[in-house]
Amino acid sequence: MSDKTHKTGKDQTKPAAEILGPGAVSMVLNVNGVSQSIDVEPRTTLAEALRTSLNLTGTKVACNHGACSACTVWLDDLPVAACSVLAIEVTSQKITTIEGLSETDHLHPVQKAFIEHDAVQCGFCTPGIVMSCAALLAHNPHPDAAEIEVAISGHLCRCGTYPHVIQAMLSLANKQEGNHE
Amino acid sequence: MESFEWQQATSFENAATSATHTTTEAMLGTQGKPVASQAMLIKAGGVDLLDLMKEGLVSPRRLIDINHLSEFQSISEDADGGFTIGALATLAQIAAHSGVGKYFPALVQTVTAAASPQIRNRATLGGNLLQRPRCWYLRSPAHHCLRKGGEHCFAYAGDNRYHAVFANHDGCAIVHPSTPATALLAFQAQIKCVSAQGAQRVIPIDDFFMLPSRDPRHENILQAGELITAVKLPAPHPAHRSAYLQLSEKAAFDWPLAAVAAVFVIDHNDICQQARIVLGSVSPTPRRAQEAENILTGAKIDPDNARTAAEAAITTATPLSGNAYKLPLLSALISRTILKAASCESPHERLL
Amino acid sequence: MNDNTPKHHERLSAGMAHLGLDQVTREISDSEPPALAPNADLNFIGRNTPRWDAVGKVTGAACYTVDVQLPGMLFAAVMRSPLPHARIRSLDLAPARNFLGVRAVVTVIEALSDGHAPAVRYVGQPIAAVAAETLAAAEAAIKLIKVEFDPLPFAIDIESAMRSDASTIYRQDEAAHIPVAGFPFVADLPLEGNVRGPSKREQGNVNDGFSSADFIVEETFFTQVQTHCCMEPHAIVADWREEGLDVWMSTQFTAGVRAQLAATFQLPLSRVRVRAQAIGGGFGSKSQLGQYGKIAVTLSRLSRAPVRLVYRRDEEQMDSGNRPSSQQHLRIGARRDGKLTAISLHAWGSAGIAQGAGVGDIAMALYACPNLKSLQFDVFTNTSPSTAMRGPGNTQGAFALEQSIDALAEKLSFDPLVLREVIDLSPVRREERRLGALKIGWAHRKTPGFDSGSIKHGLGMAQSLWMSNVQINSACEVRLWRDGKVEVLSSVQDIGTGIGTLLQQVVAEELGLQPDAIGVRIGDTEFPSGPPSYGSRTSASITPPARSAAWQIKNALLQSVASHWNLDPQQLKIQDGWVQSADTPPRRIPWKEAVRTLRTDRISAVASRSDDYAGFHSRNGDSAIALNDLGGVQFVAVTVDTQTGVIHIERVVAVHDCGRPINPLQIESQIHGGILMGISYALLEERIIDPHTGCMMNPNFIDYKFAGPSGLPKIDVMVLENYQGLSATDAYGVGEPANIATAAAIANAVYNAIGIRINTLPMTPARVLQALRDANKGPVDGIF
Repeated sequence: MSDKTHKTGKDQTKPAAEILGPGAVSMVLNVNGVSQSIDVEPRTTLAEALRTSLNLTGTKVACNHGACSACTVWLDDLPVAACSVLAIEVTSQKITTIEGLSETDHLHPVQKAFIEHDAVQCGFCTPGIVMSCAALLAHNPHPDAAEIEVAISGHLCRCGTYPHVIQAMLSLANKQEGNHE
Repeated sequence: MESFEWQQATSFENAATSATHTTTEAMLGTQGKPVASQAMLIKAGGVDLLDLMKEGLVSPRRLIDINHLSEFQSISEDADGGFTIGALATLAQIAAHSGVGKYFPALVQTVTAAASPQIRNRATLGGNLLQRPRCWYLRSPAHHCLRKGGEHCFAYAGDNRYHAVFANHDGCAIVHPSTPATALLAFQAQIKCVSAQGAQRVIPIDDFFMLPSRDPRHENILQAGELITAVKLPAPHPAHRSAYLQLSEKAAFDWPLAAVAAVFVIDHNDICQQARIVLGSVSPTPRRAQEAENILTGAKIDPDNARTAAEAAITTATPLSGNAYKLPLLSALISRTILKAASCESPHERLL
Repeated sequence: MNDNTPKHHERLSAGMAHLGLDQVTREISDSEPPALAPNADLNFIGRNTPRWDAVGKVTGAACYTVDVQLPGMLFAAVMRSPLPHARIRSLDLAPARNFLGVRAVVTVIEALSDGHAPAVRYVGQPIAAVAAETLAAAEAAIKLIKVEFDPLPFAIDIESAMRSDASTIYRQDEAAHIPVAGFPFVADLPLEGNVRGPSKREQGNVNDGFSSADFIVEETFFTQVQTHCCMEPHAIVADWREEGLDVWMSTQFTAGVRAQLAATFQLPLSRVRVRAQAIGGGFGSKSQLGQYGKIAVTLSRLSRAPVRLVYRRDEEQMDSGNRPSSQQHLRIGARRDGKLTAISLHAWGSAGIAQGAGVGDIAMALYACPNLKSLQFDVFTNTSPSTAMRGPGNTQGAFALEQSIDALAEKLSFDPLVLREVIDLSPVRREERRLGALKIGWAHRKTPGFDSGSIKHGLGMAQSLWMSNVQINSACEVRLWRDGKVEVLSSVQDIGTGIGTLLQQVVAEELGLQPDAIGVRIGDTEFPSGPPSYGSRTSASITPPARSAAWQIKNALLQSVASHWNLDPQQLKIQDGWVQSADTPPRRIPWKEAVRTLRTDRISAVASRSDDYAGFHSRNGDSAIALNDLGGVQFVAVTVDTQTGVIHIERVVAVHDCGRPINPLQIESQIHGGILMGISYALLEERIIDPHTGCMMNPNFIDYKFAGPSGLPKIDVMVLENYQGLSATDAYGVGEPANIATAAAIANAVYNAIGIRINTLPMTPARVLQALRDANKGPVDGIF
């Protein structure tokens, strides 16, 4: 294996060519602000690790191919499909799941708006859509309908909640600053 | 998904040295079994690779992860006015980059139309160029097709509604899956690569992709142990304009039925001095529409010659049993893209 | 049912609220609560109470079957046929059985019978299943199972299956064991080759009808196979224990699954418990126990451990049900004045290897016509069995009928709405047409193909019809605890329709409490048997007994307080959380104190669904059909790009009726869902089977396309308050009517845009361009 000391940023201190697996590997995931140790095989997706090792079942797997975004979580504040990411590759990143979006007994404004506008039916795709919507609001507090549509464009919902999702988000976007609670 | 080993590469050279196969080679097999269960494959964003592995289409012994390498993740403006996009830059990064957006709007239009925000946050430009085709026979574990090392293409006698209408009679009828590739070809990008020996080469994108007539099993000329490190966008002509349009069945998050990128250099007399028009989703590689380019070069672009150019572009098409519908649709899309590109402002005009 | 109970006459509201209400007098049982006032006079019914389970769903706390984890739980995987049609020469399960971590293996395919080797009849048909300690071990083990096949010829579509030389999928002696797709189904029909039927309906004489017609329209329509695409896949966790069978299942009918489990495994009903807390969609596909349910329970029985079986997305798309395809030949005759003289329908449908692929009776039922005849055939194909799917039959049927009615209107030189005024006797739909036409601007509708450019605009409409189903075997309990807490309990499940919210609203209204103060405990067969969540029957079936039970609880509490105060309970009422007397000055105590007068910690009332006050149209076992019908009218505005073939839906106006609307916002949600599923059906969705291998080529959410949130039309929903005085709540369903008319309305709008009828679904760019080419009308030059 190459032992070149090419500059590779934060990873240059890692031992060269450490080979892990195929059996279970101990790793630490930083989920919702808490570092948690788990033992999973390299093939374990982030979605599976969250659901089975950490019992964070709010992240739903519906298609397992990144095609429906039901499993959306944030990786360093960017929404990603957790079924298309391996747990082993995100050990140095901050992971936020639906369980970490709001504190217990305090709903995020997106969650409140979803309830008010009935943007929920069977609810299976809902946590993922909430995560996408909350990510949008975090960097764009007053999105217009087109921006909302782009932010949720990766989601599939067979019950057809989209019109109410968009209405819920527009109601938040139209609120004045500081009026979110 | 079969189990595998995990190795974090320490550098691109380290990854190139460790890799034994390209994903394409590891998918080749006999009687449906991938030959390369000992393969050590390079993984960038992993969006497509994990999909292939979940389907059992490739089951490597080891993945060598380069996605964490900070090298080649950035986009930079070069001294010559061009841009260099690291192979690990995500589609979302490209979409959000103001410099690329200003000078290469057609490229940004391709990446914002690709997949979903979630995927764009993970998918890298290098991975996008190297993803395997969406052909459902290629993607079906039950169909051991020519491109996977089998004997024949199932699309000819099967359902080929989404397949190629050009260059489709040389054993395989895939369409190339990368839409950014259409814009990159129109902008005459160069693909920078590094090999296991540390050798670097720069491949003009016109030479990067391969038609089935040359090799029905590989979409490009990259070799095992060779990685894309960056894509170089040469400095655009001061009077250039560009546009991209695609047409899909779904309004978003769908592979196009057809896509067109156009880049023109139009002088102050409104004469088109240079034209590059690239067709996507209709051929096994992104396809230059040179017949159309020739009609427009030296002319003042208007709806009439746009339509003539579009019609010229499809005359050599050889549709299959189920995809002749793509021709009128493509023709309309070509002329719309031509007119859109011609009518938009050159990004440089305000500067000059 | 209530024949021997004392009765009295009760005056109930009737009519459409926005037009002014009348009263009807019904003779009702004394055990029924008094007439419920119209929504305008109520506090909670008719209001947009937030969904009862929304907090759990927006926070991820809601527990779906896929989230259930039990100690010692095993994981099941299913080995499936790679071939579309074959006899199994040998099956060797031993390698799987010996695989590390495997705890049970079961053969799923039917055993050898009558000297015939077992057959597989579609790609993906379960052959065997394994339970192992990890899912990876189960999946690895099924790959080791050795099967030798003798392949047989196969047919994957109606046309090839009906050829005289087609290989037959069932022998005559197998006809009794053909799986049933679900509604609509007629038993005991003849089987010839791959064609079963016809199921026949006839009234009058269609030959006479056509001879007396001035105009006749006649056309053949084709619809595709659509898959349900539930976001939560089919899932079950089965735990077979000494004391009984415990099952968690993503199901539309907990009580029905319990009954099927009891019958299949010869257990008493009392020893089977089925739970479904949150259910990630069903749309008809989760109505039954199903083969996957039997597999999981069998594996649990064999391994003596809980077994979890969750379909992967590809299994879900391939083999968890689908809407049958259809070919419909429809012929309609009419007089010059628009009166219909005859309707004749020949329909062939394929539910794959299942029977019951009909296109429903909408052509026989929606319009007044003296002479009707329909012949419906099942055509068996080597594809996975269908199940019921949102408006089964009528959704396919409406696509043919409503386009034909529009075609007839054009022949007669009638506006499509004017013709429907003549032939549709329903005053409710007349009003729905009026409201919808105003909203969408029907008056501005142009003649077909009017626009000169390449982008053409069109307006179209279509009508929906669904029977008003009621599950008589529906019961609900209301409990009142001495701490003031109220609970409503039933095995009824909430698949996303919001039935739990309706129960809160109905009970809160009766008890004068806030809806969120009502605890909802549903989706568990330990509670009184509730109705299924299919057939658009849930609200109609369970809200009346919920109100009855709450009314009984209220009476019991008033009785208790009355004894406490030495008053006649008739003098007491409950209002805004207080019990107060009618005397002066009124005495009053808050709810919390009133409940302390109860003699026991908890009182309880269970009520079951009584017959509709005016009786039923018909009844069959546990279910009945009410006298009213359900329907709606949908209007659609489209543009068609004649150069690219792309249809864009710009606007939808949907006007629907469901009796008394209890939660308008939830109803709107459900109608959105029906419309969006209809738009997808019209434009995108299609199960694609490779003709040479029988494999489904798009068993995923990438290549199987349904509508996402982009490019959606503006959707306006109007829901009538249509009182009929038929039950304690007068509420009926809406889920299926919302889906039935959409594709037909889009097709009619497309015709209005381009002047060409597209008779085949889905209306993809390829089909639109082909239709334009066939009609020599395009691609059209124009301004871009």
